[in-house]
Formats: sequence, C-alpha cells, structure tokens
Amino acid sequence: MTTTATTRTLAISSQQIELDFGNGAGIFDQTYSVPEGTILGMIGPSGCGKTTTCRVALGLLTPQKGTITTLGQTPTRFRAEDREQIGYIPQQFVLYPRLSVAENAAFVASLYGMPARQVRRRMDELLAFVDLTDAKHRLGQNLSGGMQRRLMLAGALMHDPALLFADEPTAGIDPVLRARFWGFFRQLRDEGRTLVVTTQVVSEAIYCDFVAVMRKGRILAVDTPQNLRRLALGGEIIDITLENPDEVSRAMGILKEWDEVVKEVRRSPKSEADLHVVVDDAREWLPEVLNKLERKRPKIVVASAAPLEVSYDEVFIKIMEQDAKQETK
Amino acid sequence: MANAPLASDAPAKTSSGKVTIPNWRRWLIRVRAYFLKEVNEIRRQPLLILSLIVGPLLVLILFGTTYVNSTPRVRTAVVLPPGGISGISAEQIRALIGTNFDVLKITEDRAAMEAMLAAGELDLVQILPPNITAALQGGETPQIIFQSNAINPLSEGWIQYLAYAEVNEINKAILSATAAQAQQEAAAIKLRMIDAQGTVTELEQGISAARKQATQANIRESIRALDTLTALLPAQELLAAQGGELAELRPNIARARGNLALLDTAIENDTLGKSLAEIAAAKSDLLLLNGSLELFVNTPLERIVSPVTQSYSNTRGGAYPAVVYYSPGVLALLVQHTAITLGALALVRERLMGAFEVFRVAPVSLSQLIIGKYLGYTLFIALATLVLILAMALLGVPLLGSWLQFAGVILLLIVASLGVGFLISALSGSDSQAIQLAMISLLMSIFFSGFFIALESFAWPALPVAYSIPMTHGLAGFQNLMLRGIPPTPWTWLGLALISVVSFILVVVITRRQLRSA
Repeated sequence: MTTTATTRTLAISSQQIELDFGNGAGIFDQTYSVPEGTILGMIGPSGCGKTTTCRVALGLLTPQKGTITTLGQTPTRFRAEDREQIGYIPQQFVLYPRLSVAENAAFVASLYGMPARQVRRRMDELLAFVDLTDAKHRLGQNLSGGMQRRLMLAGALMHDPALLFADEPTAGIDPVLRARFWGFFRQLRDEGRTLVVTTQVVSEAIYCDFVAVMRKGRILAVDTPQNLRRLALGGEIIDITLENPDEVSRAMGILKEWDEVVKEVRRSPKSEADLHVVVDDAREWLPEVLNKLERKRPKIVVASAAPLEVSYDEVFIKIMEQDAKQETK
Repeated sequence: MANAPLASDAPAKTSSGKVTIPNWRRWLIRVRAYFLKEVNEIRRQPLLILSLIVGPLLVLILFGTTYVNSTPRVRTAVVLPPGGISGISAEQIRALIGTNFDVLKITEDRAAMEAMLAAGELDLVQILPPNITAALQGGETPQIIFQSNAINPLSEGWIQYLAYAEVNEINKAILSATAAQAQQEAAAIKLRMIDAQGTVTELEQGISAARKQATQANIRESIRALDTLTALLPAQELLAAQGGELAELRPNIARARGNLALLDTAIENDTLGKSLAEIAAAKSDLLLLNGSLELFVNTPLERIVSPVTQSYSNTRGGAYPAVVYYSPGVLALLVQHTAITLGALALVRERLMGAFEVFRVAPVSLSQLIIGKYLGYTLFIALATLVLILAMALLGVPLLGSWLQFAGVILLLIVASLGVGFLISALSGSDSQAIQLAMISLLMSIFFSGFFIALESFAWPALPVAYSIPMTHGLAGFQNLMLRGIPPTPWTWLGLALISVVSFILVVVITRRQLRSA
C-alpha cells in the first residue's frame, strides 16, 4: 500500500492494520498516514470499511494485526487528555431532539470537561462559524437535515480538537450544503487541524489533500487527488480532434513510435476523429505532441487539442476495475 | 497539535496545551452534563410530566372518592320449602339473610333460581329446609343448602364465611328460642316442685288410702314436667359455663326425678313405710332443685346462649378509611413505576440512537454517565413525589412519623427503582421491549409487594421475588411512617439499599460491555 510521503508530523500512522470480522468483512493490510494539518478523504462504496478504519483510529475497535498511532498514542490506550484532542462526527444524528441547539452543543462540550463560561464563549464563535446563531434556541427536532449536520459539526468542534473525524458528513445533503461543508473543512484545515473525512461522493476527492480509495476493507491507493488521477489513468490524457478522421490511424502510428513520451494512444469512444494520448503531464507535453503531428508530411491537421479533464468518478471506477482485475488474476 | 484558531483565547489550556482545569472539576462538569441533559429533556415533555404527575393524582382521587368497601356484593335468591315456612314472613327472612347477602328474590321455585345461577344472574342460591324446629325435635339435622357459581376465589371465601355466619346466627336464634321456652317451663315446674315438696311432706307423715291415688298422680305429673324440662334445657356445657349451681341443674333434675320415681314405685307397691330414707332424700333434692330452677329462670337469656362475649377496641381509635390505608401503597407504586419507566428508556434510547459511540470517543467515563442520569431522574421524580404527597395530604392522608426518615425512604426507593429501570434498559434491545418489561415489573409489584395481597399469603418461592421489588420495602416503610408513626424496620433500609447497590453494579457491568461493542 502506498503511504503519504511527508516530512511533517503524522497525526495518524497505520501499519498493516487488520481487523477481520469474518465472511470477508473487516479491514485488511491498511498502511497509511495522515500528516498534521491536512485533510484525508476516505472514499469507497458502502461497506468498504471506511467507518471501521475510523473506529480503529479512534480506539473504538482493537485491530488484530498491525500497529497504529493517533496523535502519537496507541488509540486503545488513549487517556482522557488524548481524547480531548479528538473530535468525532458519527454517521447518524446523535444529538438530542428535545434539546436546543445551544443545549446540544453545551452537552457535548461538557462531556469534554469544558466549564460553562468557556462553553458560552466558544459556542458563540462556532454557531457563527456554521451559521446557526439565529437557531441557537431552536430545538433539535425542529432543525432541517442540513442544520442538524452543521450542529453536529459545531458540537464536535466545541472542545477545539486538533484531529477531527467526520464519518460521511455530507451523506444525503444537497450539493450546495456539501460545498459549504467542504468549505468549513478546508477552513479548519487551514487553521491547522487534521481532518479524516469519509464519503461515498467521489467528486469530493477534489477537496482533500490526500485521498484513500477503499474497496473490500483494503486501501487500494492513498495519495493526492492529482496523483490518484495519474495512477488510475497511467498518466494524463490529451484529447486531440483531427480535421480528417481518415488520418486517425496514421496519427496513432506516429505517436505510438514516440514511446519515450507517449505512454498510450487510443481512439476516443466519443468520436471517430478523436484520439486520447496518455502522457505524464498533459499541459507540459501538449505543444510537443501537436508539433509531432503537424511536422509530418503530409501534414496531419489538428482541429483541436486540450488536456482531458477526467472526472473523479471515472478515476474511482478505473481504480476499482483495476483492483477487480487483479483480484480475478 | 491544538491550534485553537476559533477560540483564540482558550483559557482552559496553558501555552503548552496542557489542561489546567482540575480533574475533580472536570468530573463534576461531565456528571452535570448528563444531569442537565436529562432535566432539560424531561421538562420539554409536558405530556410526560402530565402523565407522570397528574395521571397518578387523578387515579388516586378517583380511588379515594369512589371506593366504598371491600365486601363483595353477593346477589342471592332464597328458595323456601313448598308452602313457605310457617310463622316466618318473607320480610323477616329478607331481614335475617339480608344482613350478609343482597337478597334479590324469595321464592319457592328452586329450578328457576338454579337456572339464574347458571346464567350468572345470581351469585348464590340458599335453599331453606321445611321446618327446622320440627326437624330438630324429630332428631334430624336440618340443612340450609348454599349453591354458588363464584369464579373469584376471594368472593368464594367471602360467601363461605358469610354462609357460616348466617348459619351461626340461625343456630343462635334457635338456641335462644329453646332456652326461652326452657325458662318458661322451668318457671312453671318451679311451682310444681313446691307442690311436690308438699306431697313428699305429706308422704312423710303418711297418707290415707283415699289420697294415695291423687298423690301418685301428682308425683307422676312432676316426673313428666321434669322430663320436658330436661329436653328443653340448653346443652350441659352452656349451663356449666354459667357457674357451679346451674352446672348442677341437670344432675339435680335427674336426682329429683329418680327419687320421685322411687316414691311412685313405693306408692304403687304400698311400701312407703320402708322408703323413709328415699322420702327424706326426695324432699332434700326437691328443695335443692327449686333453688337451681330459681337461678335458671332468673339468668338472662343472652348469658345462657352466648356465655362468651367480645370486647373490641382499637388503640388508635379506629382503622383508617380504605383510601388512607391504601395511600402509602399507591405512593410507593407510583414512585417506583415512574422511576422504572424513565430508567427503562434511558440507556436503551441512547444506545439505539448511537450516542454510546460518541460517549466512547469523548473522555467521559461510564460512572459519570450513570451518576448524571441517576441525579437528573432523581430530581424530577422527587419533585413529582412531592406533588403527590401534597395531594395526599389534601385527601387526609397523615404522616405520623419522622419527615426526615420519610424523605430517606423516598430517596432510597427512587434510587432502587431507577436501578431496576436502568437494568431493564441495559437488558432491552428496543424501546418497546423496555416498556414491556417495565409493565411486567408493575404487574409483579401489584401482586407481590404486599399492596393488595399480604406477603404471608405466598409460598416461600415467591418471597425472593417479592423482596427484590423496591416497592415491597417502600410500602412497608411508608405504612410505618405515614400511618403508624413508627420508624421503618431495618429490613426496609437494608432491602432498598441492597437493591440500589446490586442494580447499580449490574447496570455498570452490562453497560460497560455494551459501550465496548458500541
């Protein structure tokens, strides 16, 4: 498994962690690390082990194999002082419907031993941060789904944690609110906190500093979003449209011969006049590729060429497919 | 690691990030968190408050204003023998039997009454014998037949007891009538015995042949009168109960009768001259008998029929009305049920909503969680109990004992009941299961706490169950303090304390395991 190379202090460091629940469920051979002050996004389908991975890092589950440290401590041996450094937003809304927004936040803060005066000051800041100041006295049961999520975020931040785990915080909420949440997370990251965020929404990878792609309890890849894209596609893609579709075969032949730069050339599934050229860095090699084609005689006329923006959905599917292929081998 | 960008002035931490709030204060803050949470959650449920305080209050008031007595109403038909009972009217029968039974019908149609009994329109049919006095004189034992269709064992017990009391009353009435007749007869015989004494004196002095027949008739008439009296006299035990002289009445009659019979034989055989000793004895016995008869005639009838009387007094002036007597039980039941119901939902709800996971991540201990909840619920239930006590005071329920001890028993009862509730909560897999178990505990309390049925009525296997119910001890303590004005027994304190401690330990052990798997 890949690890996130870093020179910074690690908030989490996991080495070959395994927790087998039987029947294929559990997490296996997980090696990853999360540098302080970064966001690690855990992406994968439902049941792939994202929550279990978080729970092991939180000390809620004891791994059968491997070693893990969270904030420098073995999670199962956390002391109260260690726990005070950690915030947690679980998947379900576990705040109390008959308590007001302020009471819910104060309750969570009190669990972390915060005195009332400090709670009041911190609450004002946080409710403003998550835009819930006006709803301060509204009961939990009268909050919309989005407000409940924001309240949970505020609750988890009340004690000013250094490390925040958020288990699918954007599940089931609209794209606008999702973007706001990621805005919150990035702001928290910019303030120096470390965040571990699980999600099934692959497109959210773009907001993370590091992304762990998970399948069947394993971390298939963990890297920056850009590197993951390269990993999935074998590099970056230049999308080229020729003026004359009959020239496609000749163009492919020319580019395939240039194997020190071009890793792969294939026809685009969208158009007969289109080519997809895989290179290390699409923006860097685009002019050279165009020169290569236009310098040939007879000249191959390129109608348009640009780096192809492959969605993270496709990247994710590609990684999954690659893993599935390896598994069948 | 802590960057504290949002709380720029985080005062609880030093520059090195170390916590400066003392651990004991943090402990209290965490306990207070659960305490306040429970209090706030409960106060936001006005319907719950209504159902927990006003509901029981209404039940108590309804009970107090509608409870009449505990004697069941037995719908009864009296079946008379064909032709009725001579000399006794239907109204007299209704007056006699109606003391204990609710007489709906007096009829001679036995089959119709038995049909009504079978249809459940009657609870009891009494079939009276034709003529009790005649049957008695004929040497028979007359029988009143009681036919019941009771399905309630308590009602059947009552019917059997009331039937026994009715038969006793009838027997006493018959005895009274017979004794009255005996007294009348004795008064008449007393005069006859004076005559007999004259006759014996005459015999002593010698009688002419012409007087012989009349004298013999006189003696024989006296013997017959003594026989009649003997038949009417109350049982020897009843006479003996009146003292030595009346105890000798029957032997005196027997001796006098024997001497008179000897004189009769002597007159018959013309051997009076040889019977001077018998004549003297007869004279002396008749004199003695006269004294006994005098005493018998003058003895009050009630004293002969019911030689033992009763004297009852209640040292506190009288028992309490039923509503007052049952009030301590109602109070104990309501306190326990409220605590068990609230406790039963407390942990299972948190567990099901996933809060245990949050608690495990937070630096909070199980003891803080449980103690906080205990405190929150105890405060609320104590307030509800205070309202109930005030309402009971308005209904006239006293508190004769120490207020301090009363508060102590209430507090222990609340804690013990909360322990049972939390235990139910820890063992339940869902809200509905917790409620169901709370209802079962309510049912158990009604049957086995001594509320309606005394604990002594149960076989020993039921006693451990009974003593594991907080209400059993709470009820005993409340009755002592409220109604008797004496302190609770040590068993009350010990029982409640034991249930509190054992349930707390079990709740901690079970919940710790659940928290680990949360």
